Amino acid sequence: MGTRGGWAALRRRSLSFFLDWLAWGYIAYTVMYLLNHYWYTVYVDWYGTLKLPSWGWPLVVLGTLELAVWSRALGRSLGLRAFGLEVTCPSLGRRILRAFLWHVSVLPLGIGVWLGRGEPWHDRLAGTRVRAVPKEPERPGRRALATQWGAMAAVLLVLTLWLGWLIIGINLQVLGRRAPWAAGIWRQMLRPDFRYFLESDPAFALRNLPFSILDLMVVTIFMAFLATVLGAAVAFPLSFFGARNIMGFSPVGWAVYGLTRGFFNVFRSIETILWAVVFAVWVGFGTFAGVLALTIHTIAALGKLYSEQVEGVSPGPLEAVWAAGGSRWQVVRYAVLPQVVPSFWAFTLYRWDINVRMATVIALVGGGGIGDMLFYYKNLSDWPKVGAVVMVIVAVVWTMDYLSGRLRERIT
Amino acid sequence: MTGYPDGFLTDPPSLSWPVVRDALARRAGIAGRHLAIVFLDVVGLAILWLLVTYIYAWYGLGSIAYTLVPWWAFVLGVVEGAALWESFGRSLGQRFAHRELSGASGVPTGGQRVLYFIGWHLTVLPLVGLFFDPPWHERLSGLRLGPPVERGEAPRPWYRTSSGLFLAALLLATAVAAVGVTITTTNLRRLFTEAGRTAKFWRAFFSPDTTILAASGRDLVVTIYMAVMATAFAVVVAVPLSFLAARNLMRGPVGRLVYTVLRGAMSIVRSIEPIVWAIIFLIWVTVVRAPFAGVLALWVHSIADLVKLYAERLEAIDPGPIEAITATGAGRLAVLRYAVIPQIVNPYISFTLYRWDINIRMATVVGVVGGGGIGQRLYHYLTGNLWQQAGTVMLLIVILVWAIDYLSSRLRAKLA
Amino acid sequence: MANPYLVVENLTKVYERGQVVALRDLSFSVEKGEFLVVIGLSGSGKSTLLRCINRLVEPTKGKIYLDGVDVTRLSSARMRRVRRRIGMIFQQFNLIDRSTAIGNVLTGRLGYTPAWRALLGWFSKADRDRALANLERVGLRDKAYVRADQLSGGQRQRVGIARALMQEPELLLADEPVSALDPATSHSVMQYLEQMNREDGVTVLASLHFLSLARRYGTRIIALKDGQLVFDGPPGAIDDTRFKEIYGEEAEEVEVR
Repeated sequence: MGTRGGWAALRRRSLSFFLDWLAWGYIAYTVMYLLNHYWYTVYVDWYGTLKLPSWGWPLVVLGTLELAVWSRALGRSLGLRAFGLEVTCPSLGRRILRAFLWHVSVLPLGIGVWLGRGEPWHDRLAGTRVRAVPKEPERPGRRALATQWGAMAAVLLVLTLWLGWLIIGINLQVLGRRAPWAAGIWRQMLRPDFRYFLESDPAFALRNLPFSILDLMVVTIFMAFLATVLGAAVAFPLSFFGARNIMGFSPVGWAVYGLTRGFFNVFRSIETILWAVVFAVWVGFGTFAGVLALTIHTIAALGKLYSEQVEGVSPGPLEAVWAAGGSRWQVVRYAVLPQVVPSFWAFTLYRWDINVRMATVIALVGGGGIGDMLFYYKNLSDWPKVGAVVMVIVAVVWTMDYLSGRLRERIT
Repeated sequence: MTGYPDGFLTDPPSLSWPVVRDALARRAGIAGRHLAIVFLDVVGLAILWLLVTYIYAWYGLGSIAYTLVPWWAFVLGVVEGAALWESFGRSLGQRFAHRELSGASGVPTGGQRVLYFIGWHLTVLPLVGLFFDPPWHERLSGLRLGPPVERGEAPRPWYRTSSGLFLAALLLATAVAAVGVTITTTNLRRLFTEAGRTAKFWRAFFSPDTTILAASGRDLVVTIYMAVMATAFAVVVAVPLSFLAARNLMRGPVGRLVYTVLRGAMSIVRSIEPIVWAIIFLIWVTVVRAPFAGVLALWVHSIADLVKLYAERLEAIDPGPIEAITATGAGRLAVLRYAVIPQIVNPYISFTLYRWDINIRMATVVGVVGGGGIGQRLYHYLTGNLWQQAGTVMLLIVILVWAIDYLSSRLRAKLA
Repeated sequence: MANPYLVVENLTKVYERGQVVALRDLSFSVEKGEFLVVIGLSGSGKSTLLRCINRLVEPTKGKIYLDGVDVTRLSSARMRRVRRRIGMIFQQFNLIDRSTAIGNVLTGRLGYTPAWRALLGWFSKADRDRALANLERVGLRDKAYVRADQLSGGQRQRVGIARALMQEPELLLADEPVSALDPATSHSVMQYLEQMNREDGVTVLASLHFLSLARRYGTRIIALKDGQLVFDGPPGAIDDTRFKEIYGEEAEEVEVR
């Protein structure tokens, strides 16, 4: 015990054990949910909360723990498979012995694991061993579904879909019953009304200016353009702070790296449309809020892509500049930049493409752009006009997609 | 081993249909390349002109206008501009196509350029001249539009080439127009004066409201399941479709037609955001079944996206194993089963995980239009100015998205 | 034997794209049991020739008789039955990387397995035993359950040979079987081909890059240049002038030991 390898092995074992426990817990929960749903249909609220008596929970926790222990002792469980481990098997009797001994060895605060010096008591006494699966098997592998882990994975999949079906409330009858009605809307949309394509709609005026579909589409493209330019301009310098190979391994470097990457990750995981809500409150409804929302998300998304690109540069030229006595920023300028600029352009174009797509819908929360018109007509149930707007959006987005794809091909 | 001296395999070509067809196809190719250059130049100049007038109208007249001149004057100006540019400089289109004007004795003279300019109108406008090889204007002026000649000089910096300056002007004009249209002084002022309004929000963001945690947790579960269901059902549809949308598997006229139609339809579906789909499905299945509508919206968008990703992967498979299995005398299905599928299983799973990851993110957004899940709760709090609750929910979303992102990228790394 | 085993008559192949002529009016015949080596520069049409014989590439013109049957006219279903008897190994091995060695070897039986069994992956016990025996024969019995991408180049090619053996072929097409291998491994692979040729009486058509290998293993050599036949004769007959004719003036002969 105490060696690095020993710790890593122990960590793998424990993680695989917790995965098993989790899997059994999930199965137990799902089964109880389904039982509750089909047999006592007492009360299934929107989210179908599962009610258990107070003594139920410890029972479930302990029961699933037992299931995990036994499934690991008796075969190759999902957790073992996921972490590439297996239990060598002398005989069934010893495997059963192992499961019993486990309780003595692990339950009292894992005493057997700590004192076992790399080989926990239950393994040592039962004569079993947990080891990484050898790379060169000598026996034919069994079919996935015939193995314990395969069966378990299949059960998990089926239960998940079943549970999902109930939780989401999927109802195909409604889909079928109301299909003619939906088809009516589709038909209206497919007979688009392009009256206001060039001519501005008097009912639809923003900022004292009446707008046509074309006007707003142009505005939308402008929004995406501005957000991309601003976003790229900010993300470009930031990306070097978020690259491990540039920041080095000093504590300051670590801190800056961590902060930058953290910023990228947090801001990226909040979608543009939610940012638009924040900015609409801040600067008022309209295109500016939309641009800001797009910009923020662009900075985070591009920053991450850029940083990864910087981290992926080939180290040869960097070494050459270091060796020639260059400073950190000279390394960036002469060794890193030439390598990353083409892919930076490619990512930026790609992002512009995404931004145009996003800009078409952020109007929903006050972000401005063509979406204003889309949702305005939708609220009036004026489907032919909605159809016209959607068609213009599709045409523009499709063209942008195509153009940016072609340009990216040329660049890289 | 025997045969005709100048490389013909059989008889020299007579004026048969295939010969005529090939010759026509070749000429059409040349004409197409020329037209592409002209098209790019005309479109570029047109956009620049539109942007300039747009800026003038916006700042000068306070209205929206695109050309400010009659349409025929606009077309004439743009076409003449393109002709001048192509004759007297190296235009954007020529640069993109890697073409350059050159005479027999190197750099074209002024006279040749004038002839080229005049010939351009005769050739390009009626289109006929383009089908001659060389086209009329090249024959007239003695110039050739060929690949750039290496002269051993350093290339000019971008700001000394016309196309570089043109692109810079285009970008600048777009930026000016975009700034003018999207940013107003009122809004800009509010960005600085009203920052305090969001302070509440940020403070709330870091002091979560624990009372809503349980309910939000349930919504999170719903969101995860929305993504799972949408992805699972999308896979079922997208996998078979991807085989029909892979160029290398769809041979023959019928195959090509299916391929084209399918890819076209998918790219149209993909260009409509899931939010718009959610609106349609909400009307369809009624708002009572919000998560269902959300799942359907994500489902449709995922199918389109997955078909594209899958099909592109299929197009990139190694043809070697297909050859090998075919050579053993195996049937078509067996070739698919043993040579194609083993190559795509892991990438397909990887794309599916990636899409699941995106769907989680999208599911939070679809909620905003009433598509159920955590997004709906967040939107409810945001519109109700319940900042503390909104902050809590956002925090939960960040954690969820982050965790799923990490999980899916770890799994994908393992699959690669 | 009255007729030669394989007859190629006026074979021409023009690739549609780019109008590249890969083979021009090629004619030759092969007797049963020969070890015929095809040599020539890259792009001289060696691979195309081999692929025309089992119609992985459709010939543009000409006829190919295998045992008196014109394979260029067969329907695709009957062509499959002919392919079963023609083994093939490849320069890049063309194994299924994600499958085990034995899984790859078993695919050699696909021509003999009913479609539904093939789809489910149910090979008969006899086939499995045969696969193990063939792996034993190429010295890879202990690697049977190792994934193909874990094997070295020489081992992979030997799996390819075992796969071809599963077909119990009469004819083996080897498309530059050793180009991707180092000299020592090359010989071991070539020796397996020689063994098949001598012991099982399999007719072998192998395209090779190195003349030294061709001389060592071939019973007869044909040479292609720009899709035309420029030499046909016993290995000993290639002298320096012939060599320059085939490979061009610049070429130097390289020995592979």
